[in-house]
Amino acid sequence: MPSEVTPSTNNHDFILTALRQNLRLDSRPLDTYRPIDLTFSSDPDTYGQTDVRIGKTRVLCNISCEVGAPYPDRKFDGVFTISCELGPMGSPAWEVGRQDQTEIILSRILEKTVRRSGALDTESLCIVAGQKCFHLRADIHILDHDGNVLDAACFALMAALLHFRRPDVSIEGEEVTVYSVREREPVKLTMTHHPFCITTSFYPSRQGSDDDLISVLDTTLQEEQCRTGSLTISLNRHGEVCNIAKYGGVGIEGLSVLTCVNASLEKAKMFDRLLKERLAEDEKARQAKIGAMGLELSAENERVMERPVG
Amino acid sequence: MPLDTSTYALAHLRLDGRRWNELRRLHAQISTQAAADGSSYLEQGNTKVLCTVSGPQEQKGGRGGARDQGNEAKVDVEMNIAAFSGMDRKRRARSDKRVQEMQVTIASAFQSTLFTHLFPHSTITVTLHILSQDGSLLAACLNAATLALIDAGIPMSDYISSVTVASAPSSDQSLDEMDPLLDLNGLEEQELPFMTVGTCGRGPGGGEEKVMVLVMETKVQMARLEAMLSVGIDGCKQVRGILDGVVRSHGKRVLESKVS
Repeated sequence: MPSEVTPSTNNHDFILTALRQNLRLDSRPLDTYRPIDLTFSSDPDTYGQTDVRIGKTRVLCNISCEVGAPYPDRKFDGVFTISCELGPMGSPAWEVGRQDQTEIILSRILEKTVRRSGALDTESLCIVAGQKCFHLRADIHILDHDGNVLDAACFALMAALLHFRRPDVSIEGEEVTVYSVREREPVKLTMTHHPFCITTSFYPSRQGSDDDLISVLDTTLQEEQCRTGSLTISLNRHGEVCNIAKYGGVGIEGLSVLTCVNASLEKAKMFDRLLKERLAEDEKARQAKIGAMGLELSAENERVMERPVG
Repeated sequence: MPLDTSTYALAHLRLDGRRWNELRRLHAQISTQAAADGSSYLEQGNTKVLCTVSGPQEQKGGRGGARDQGNEAKVDVEMNIAAFSGMDRKRRARSDKRVQEMQVTIASAFQSTLFTHLFPHSTITVTLHILSQDGSLLAACLNAATLALIDAGIPMSDYISSVTVASAPSSDQSLDEMDPLLDLNGLEEQELPFMTVGTCGRGPGGGEEKVMVLVMETKVQMARLEAMLSVGIDGCKQVRGILDGVVRSHGKRVLESKVS
């Protein structure tokens, strides 16, 4: 069974000593992310495929959907599943088919952040109650693992969900027609809010003492292997916390949890801004590609909404 | 099934008649299984957990050698949720992600609290049997595991004690505030946003408690976290006192039986 190469004692000590002097190997401040790059599929008919790079970490997310039957106990809801694939492409320590701790934590946190918090309105995926609904499936592939996979995966998933369009449907009596992308302009998913994961890592500020901790954002793989604890917080830009996960590791004071939450809010806002920007850019590029046809295909009309009387 | 919180607003009493900062009855026993190296039985309200510890012992299995962590003991957690433990009879698969997450949480919390460096090349296996579920499952498991590990005589820096806290609409309706509630039962857990807090004391005179485990999976406003967290840490202190009482009374009994 292959295992990750752990940093040597010299490397470990070097990273720690540097962090204690507010220095990192890539000369970033402790609370800054590496450059975040988000690209969508260049094919104008493909929606919901994102490729996120945070530094050398690279995550691919693809969303697909098909029509199926809803769960009998949830007649009015569509089905939404998230599956994470951690293969040997990402890191030599990962094997296909073997579940390891990273995978469990990754899929659970994404599940809690996006599914349990109700970020996606699953009721909008329902076509005929109790009979037909959309099965939405998000496949997340970690292509390169250089630390902070969680934040990258969550960002990729949110971007993909916001970018994805499902085929339009029409219902006449019992008859359901699903239109292809060419026939009718596909429909965006209904999202209620946009949560993002932010992971803070902790390092002892003095040898052998857990009293003062250095908190660091967006760690590289090497830094991650040296940390003594971590705290993952998922929240949206309105400051609604959807998930807090601290599984063991070094103990932290109650107050520093709250400082972490505040710092994470700033980062969530940063993610949110970046995502909006990139989505708008992509929309523009797509419109340019389709050209004049785009205006005719669009279902939205430029009507001025008048305030209702009374 | 919506929770009837109207009575709470009127009388400041919860469904089971507790005030906001009251724990449920916490009953625990130590050394319940003679065959195990350490064992405990813990009831937190109607949540009942049986915990056994075996080890530290040499790693079993042929492939153990490759995964040998070298100079630290490895903590393994197995969780068994009985089919009859919940409201509806349901067998939970071992591969259930929620169960696996709890196992990872318990394992890594104790990995950093136990003095694992004293037992190189070995494993400590914690087995938890959930006999009955009525909220605060993770908290009860952490508490039971602490007692069983103490019974097994494995050195640790301090107790890990754990409770759940929720945030409920305030009893005083003129204020637009939320009341934190301590130690939830199953019904409250389904209705209210809650989190599990696990702290580790720092011994006598060691200063503030440190938060070891913090798990929240429901949406809550940022501003409410502070109150929840402080009530949670306080609740953990109470639980620690109860666990400590259990350990001390057991110790006393053992001593007395040796003397006579």
